[in-house]
Amino acid sequence: MKQIIKRTKAYYCVECGKCSGSCPVARVNEGFSPRVIVERALSGMKGEIEGDRELWTCLTCEACTTKCPSTVKFSEFIRGMRSSAFNSGYTSRCSQGGLLHSIQRVQSYRDIVQNRLQWISDDLKTSTEGEVLYFTGCLPYFENLFSGFVNPLEIARSTVKILNKAGISPVVSPNERCCGHDLLWTGNVETFQKLARLNIEMIKESGASRIVTSCPECLRTLKLDYADFFEGTDIEIVHISEFISSLIKNNDIKLNRAGIMTYQDPCRLGRHMGIYDAPREVIKSMGELVEMNKNREESSCCGVSAWATCEGNSKLMQIERLIEAKSTGADMLVTSCPKCLIHFRCAVHNQIPVEKEKVDIPVVDLTVAACRALAGE
Amino acid sequence: MTNIGVYICHCGTNIAGVVDVEGLTQKVAKLKDVSLAKDYKYMCSEPGQDLIREDIKNRNLDRVVVAACSPRMHENTYKKVLASAGLNPFLLEIANIREQASWVHLDKEKTTDKALDLIKMAVAKVRMDEPLTSLSANVIQRVLVIGAGIAGIQTSLDIANIGFDVVLVEKEQSIGGRMSQLGKTFPTLDCSACILTPKMVEVSLNPRIKLFTYSEVEEISGFIGNFKAKIRKKSRGLDESLCTGCGLCQEKCPTKVPSEYDEKMGKRKAIYTLFPQAVPNIPVIDRASCLYITKGKCGVCKKVCPAGAIDYERTDEFIEEEIGAVVVATGFDPFDPVSKEEYGFGIYRNVITGLQLERLLHAAGPTKGEVVRPSDGAIPKRIAFVQCVGSRDEHANKYCSRVCCMYAIKNALLIKEHHPESEIFIYYIDIRAFGKGYEEFYKRAQENGIKFMRGRVAEIFEEQKSRNPVIRADDTLLGMVTENELDMVVLSVGMIPRSDSSKIQKMLGLAASPDGFFMEAHAKLRPVDTLVDGVFLAGTAQGPKDIPDTVAQAKGAASGALEVISHKTLQLSPLISEVDERLCRGCGDCKDVCEYGAIEIVTLDTHKVARINPAICKGCGACAVACCNGSIKLRNYTDSITFAMLDATLGGAV
Amino acid sequence: MTEFSPRIVAFCCNWCSYVGADLAGTSRLKYPDNIRIMRVMCSGQVFPSYILKALELGADGVLVAGCHIGDCHYVSGNKKAQERVETLLRVMKTLGLDPRRVRLEWISASEGMKFASTVKEFVEEIKELGPNLLGVR
Repeated sequence: MKQIIKRTKAYYCVECGKCSGSCPVARVNEGFSPRVIVERALSGMKGEIEGDRELWTCLTCEACTTKCPSTVKFSEFIRGMRSSAFNSGYTSRCSQGGLLHSIQRVQSYRDIVQNRLQWISDDLKTSTEGEVLYFTGCLPYFENLFSGFVNPLEIARSTVKILNKAGISPVVSPNERCCGHDLLWTGNVETFQKLARLNIEMIKESGASRIVTSCPECLRTLKLDYADFFEGTDIEIVHISEFISSLIKNNDIKLNRAGIMTYQDPCRLGRHMGIYDAPREVIKSMGELVEMNKNREESSCCGVSAWATCEGNSKLMQIERLIEAKSTGADMLVTSCPKCLIHFRCAVHNQIPVEKEKVDIPVVDLTVAACRALAGE
Repeated sequence: MTNIGVYICHCGTNIAGVVDVEGLTQKVAKLKDVSLAKDYKYMCSEPGQDLIREDIKNRNLDRVVVAACSPRMHENTYKKVLASAGLNPFLLEIANIREQASWVHLDKEKTTDKALDLIKMAVAKVRMDEPLTSLSANVIQRVLVIGAGIAGIQTSLDIANIGFDVVLVEKEQSIGGRMSQLGKTFPTLDCSACILTPKMVEVSLNPRIKLFTYSEVEEISGFIGNFKAKIRKKSRGLDESLCTGCGLCQEKCPTKVPSEYDEKMGKRKAIYTLFPQAVPNIPVIDRASCLYITKGKCGVCKKVCPAGAIDYERTDEFIEEEIGAVVVATGFDPFDPVSKEEYGFGIYRNVITGLQLERLLHAAGPTKGEVVRPSDGAIPKRIAFVQCVGSRDEHANKYCSRVCCMYAIKNALLIKEHHPESEIFIYYIDIRAFGKGYEEFYKRAQENGIKFMRGRVAEIFEEQKSRNPVIRADDTLLGMVTENELDMVVLSVGMIPRSDSSKIQKMLGLAASPDGFFMEAHAKLRPVDTLVDGVFLAGTAQGPKDIPDTVAQAKGAASGALEVISHKTLQLSPLISEVDERLCRGCGDCKDVCEYGAIEIVTLDTHKVARINPAICKGCGACAVACCNGSIKLRNYTDSITFAMLDATLGGAV
Repeated sequence: MTEFSPRIVAFCCNWCSYVGADLAGTSRLKYPDNIRIMRVMCSGQVFPSYILKALELGADGVLVAGCHIGDCHYVSGNKKAQERVETLLRVMKTLGLDPRRVRLEWISASEGMKFASTVKEFVEEIKELGPNLLGVR
């Protein structure tokens, strides 16, 4: 634990409470306070923290980290503590009765042969080797589980379509594994590492020097958490929003007007990776952007992280955010994270605590929106 | 600190013959959290039980595993042992090493390995089991009976005679139901009224029966032992407390309309009772045909009523009653043969239904018991009965209505007795004479010259001049298509669910069988119970049946309801689902999958959460699986327990 | 090399299939000892994740057994089980796991014979499929 405290600069904490004040969880859950968790760690209460339910409630959204005057890396602190708890036999909750994490763990077995490319239709050009690799992430599995209320594979298809438009036939590998983000953030470092190694192997085999992801979590994981594994190679990792915005800048593609949009900054893309402008540029090139009150660094969260933190409060956050989005008068809420999309759609599925009109706004993935707006299609 | 005691039974040689019990006991003793493992010849015997009881007390065991026969044999025995030693009975697990190990395998070593695995799984589960306490609820010791035909009447009388209160609600203005419409009953030919009327009177005189006629149950809430019913007492257009039943109003009323009770074979007034022996003998004003109400003229009834009871403006009343159990005895409707166009019912006047014939044969019916042709009032001499109308028919109802064969034979015999010269044909495909004395009755009909024609009637058409219906049918015994000109044709219509049965089904949360009748809890072993605890079925509401079967089921329903309400309190199983309200997102997916309506979505200040009514929940766990984020858990069958058990047998933590 | 002996987990509902398994016992029918039965209240109580977890832990086959359609003690739990197993099979297909490792059967309380023959058949089929690769690290 000492190492975790040191690495995350937790000892700098001056108990100012800025974190709790800016924490989206604390806003809806009075019992939750990042400051108190750090304080308990500093007093050496390892066992207590590991067994504490609140350890698994944090969204690791970095809202506090970006505000902390003492630069305590709270999300990383939580991640460290979770790993320590996991090794002591505590496990996180997981939505769908544990199925999602189970699916991710199974992918860490070297010998499995996945059927994850069924979505590649004839009109899409992909390769087995090449310079650019599209890292699809969990989309095929999300399709298996959530196709009732979202269309996850449309994100994958749209991504490839846009890449094709730019003359790129990306590598899409049947050997791709889950990036390991969720397992890493719920303390299962060992399995994360297995996944990372298998993915690095796959990437190296493909000969790609550039990886495009349509998921901010994959982006973060590959770019930051795989860094040690990538050592010695020079691979560029970009999010599709950055890619599209550069295409637009270079006049390689043109987007038709698609209406008034408001934008949800996914925590991994925004606060974790600092990418705020690229998606906005894409939106502006196909319509009008109206910001919600809380945007960019201040953006509030979709309420669930790593499939482990879904609870009543998550829904409150989601509903509040949807109300905010709807009140901008935008035609749609655009996000660039498949999980934000799923969580917002889930929030309005079946019964909701407010009138339907207040939250009744379509939620669309940025890539999907851009693909639909492609000129000349 | 967990102290698990494991007890391994030899069951004589039943287990010990295949399983190395001693070796197994030694291995089990080394398992984590197992503080002792013992084997014994017969664990379920008194000394075996004592062994466990003593260890719980002296060795401070806090959880127990018994490895023996199936939990279905002795789980309750051992639960009692735990309870008697002061340990929560839910901290017990049974490893089924007899039925599911020693009796099905031969290899000693492998079976012993399997037994060890089963014990490991039981240990893994019992370690995480939570102590549970049965909830107890007070029971309202009254029964609501819906429907006062012969089924509802019999149920009510049985319950009241044992000394419990009954609330009996009847939709029509008199009790008696379908049976009161019938002339005579098969196979004994008793007159229906003669056997029914005394029971109706008994109902009206029994102080334990609170009777609501011309009333409907509109809402039922609550659960077994604690239901609340909202009853709408429809306005009769008069003050019942003043009415003496003298009948003067009915006599003087100038309006005549076809009588529904007489199946349109006769007429009634706008103010009327269903029949002379009605209970209660109080008329109802039919607001649709009353001249005063529709046109503001007349008012004769009000003028002649010596008691001054008529009150045209009277409105419906609502009454709430609390009850502990419900018996549904809502009966049946006759199949409407209009949809079987080939029979011409509703077009040819001399084609009538079996129930219409019953009214004609009824001594107090529109023709005082004389069977006449509707077209000209003549006495028909050639009559045919057409069987299976709307029954055993993929285009109508697939099922057999069970009573039509017998009632057709009965009515054929009655006509033949009155007019021996008449010629009677019964067109059938099978004669189903399943009941006591029924086959003999069928024989009697054959002896009396009633002609049984085997073949399904293809078509009925009419000789225009005589208005005689003609039957065209394949006489399958002769292999000839025949045409048969008759004076009258009677369609033996089957039974269908009451037109408003889906309303009652929804109100009570009952299930319906594919035939549309209310579904019993088990076709063979629980034919009177429903899947809703505390709700029972009696009579044709559950499916077509004759009077003896109806009465038998009614008595069964009475006994079922009494079993519930004869106790002052009720123990509810604690093995049910529970909601973690902090996790709950209030989406309602759990509510959607609950077959019992046990889940309610309640709105708290800013959000919604699911609440489970522990009295209604049956513990199936469907809601837990439907819940996307694990807010609902089925007690002691949680996912973490399951994962631990899997881990115990498969090994190797992931 | 010893013969491959599959490990099979069965989730049997309390009201039908578990009783059917007991009946196989009281009738002294013999079936392979590879199976470990877990009693669940209803087949509709089986999360898809239970099955995948069993496979993850190295089970070579998973049997989910419930009352026949229309006979569910809880009205429709078995129909829900069917839908959920179908969802899981889609996931398994994507993961490249052989769907034949998961079997859904309706076995009533009176079908001891069917229980025994189902286990026999399933064990044979799994033997042909070979070990679950998730079990051999």
